[in-house]
Amino acid sequence: MSIKDKVWYPILFMFGASVVFVSILVVFGAFTQSRVDDNKKIAFERAALEASPATLPERMGTSQIHEMYVKVVADSTAETAGALRYMIGDSVAAYLLPVEGQGFWAPVKGVIGIAADKSTITGISFYQQEETPGLGGEIVKKPFRSQFEDKVLAVEGPAIEMRAVSAELDASSVHAVTGATQTSTRVGRFMNDQLIQWQKRMGVR
Amino acid sequence: MAQQKSAGQIVKDGLWLDNPVFTQVLGICSALAVTNLVLNTMVMSAALVFTTALSGFTVSLLRNITPRRVRMMVQTLIIAFYVILFDRVLAAYWPDMSRSLGPYVGLIITNCIIMGRAEAFAGSNPPFKSMLDGFFSGLGYSFVLLAVSVVRELLGMGSILGIPVPFLSSPGFDRWIIMVMPPGAFFTLAVMVWMFRSIKKRGEQKAGGGK
Repeated sequence: MSIKDKVWYPILFMFGASVVFVSILVVFGAFTQSRVDDNKKIAFERAALEASPATLPERMGTSQIHEMYVKVVADSTAETAGALRYMIGDSVAAYLLPVEGQGFWAPVKGVIGIAADKSTITGISFYQQEETPGLGGEIVKKPFRSQFEDKVLAVEGPAIEMRAVSAELDASSVHAVTGATQTSTRVGRFMNDQLIQWQKRMGVR
Repeated sequence: MAQQKSAGQIVKDGLWLDNPVFTQVLGICSALAVTNLVLNTMVMSAALVFTTALSGFTVSLLRNITPRRVRMMVQTLIIAFYVILFDRVLAAYWPDMSRSLGPYVGLIITNCIIMGRAEAFAGSNPPFKSMLDGFFSGLGYSFVLLAVSVVRELLGMGSILGIPVPFLSSPGFDRWIIMVMPPGAFFTLAVMVWMFRSIKKRGEQKAGGGK
């Protein structure tokens, strides 16, 4: 009777194989962990800068993004109601409000930039989403995001409204993504919930 | 004992004669999910080729000491190992692509092509041939997916690899939104399978004397 025919052999083999493969993954995971964490941090910093009034070069390396972020973005305080501060000199030039909520497939996270008047949007950017590429995934692209620039947060009803592509726009509305009704509705909903909450805490609503 | 395939036959089978997508109709779920952008398809294909080749190699390497009763559990473990490795490499060194592909890379574990090759070939063939078989089966899958993704991105978004294509990206052309959505993948894949099978059949008829 060979060792392969023993009753305990499959259990021992499976256990041994699992230990070997999982150990390799644990070592590789530990080796790349700091890099993965840095990538997440840089993705957030890039989104914050894209939402701010800062003019960004076409191509920016990760070190440039981090340097610029450290230079112009300050932490939130009790007075900014959870929004980071975009500083020019010693004064706050814009508020950068992190927002997040459920998209169509998975959580969506982004940053909304609001000028010092607490009303005008300076920009918007998303750093985490798993929406359908080509449809809901279009929320990360410039044509969708640039619609928000210079829009004014309404103080009654939705702060910013997403309307069908055929609808006319006013100072507080943008067009939804064509063919991605669910993503547009969900993103619009959580953005508004958090914007309205922020407006109330900042005393503008 | 069955006669062993030559390297040339493995290449021909993987790419054409026994193509995993249009002959065996395997790996269709991911073929439908990731083919609306050519770049995503290319990375997904690279992940699949990497996993199929190396899992075939490893399964074959361990075939003589793997207990038969738990062989499929071992194969799944090996496949999951390579997929997690690839996913981690993407997350660490290509974060934009990792975000773009989202859960699809992880789902390679369940791709029938990999398990199929491990069970049908790697379990009874030497490591190098198993790696070759996995590699070319992966390439066979990749070229069909790329063909599907080119059609879908062109008609659905008017671009190739994100670069706008004249006319198809102009305001005068109404983009076919359905091509970006899952039904577009079903239609395109069905047409591709029909097309490739017809070409294959015609080739076989010619080789068989036009019957």
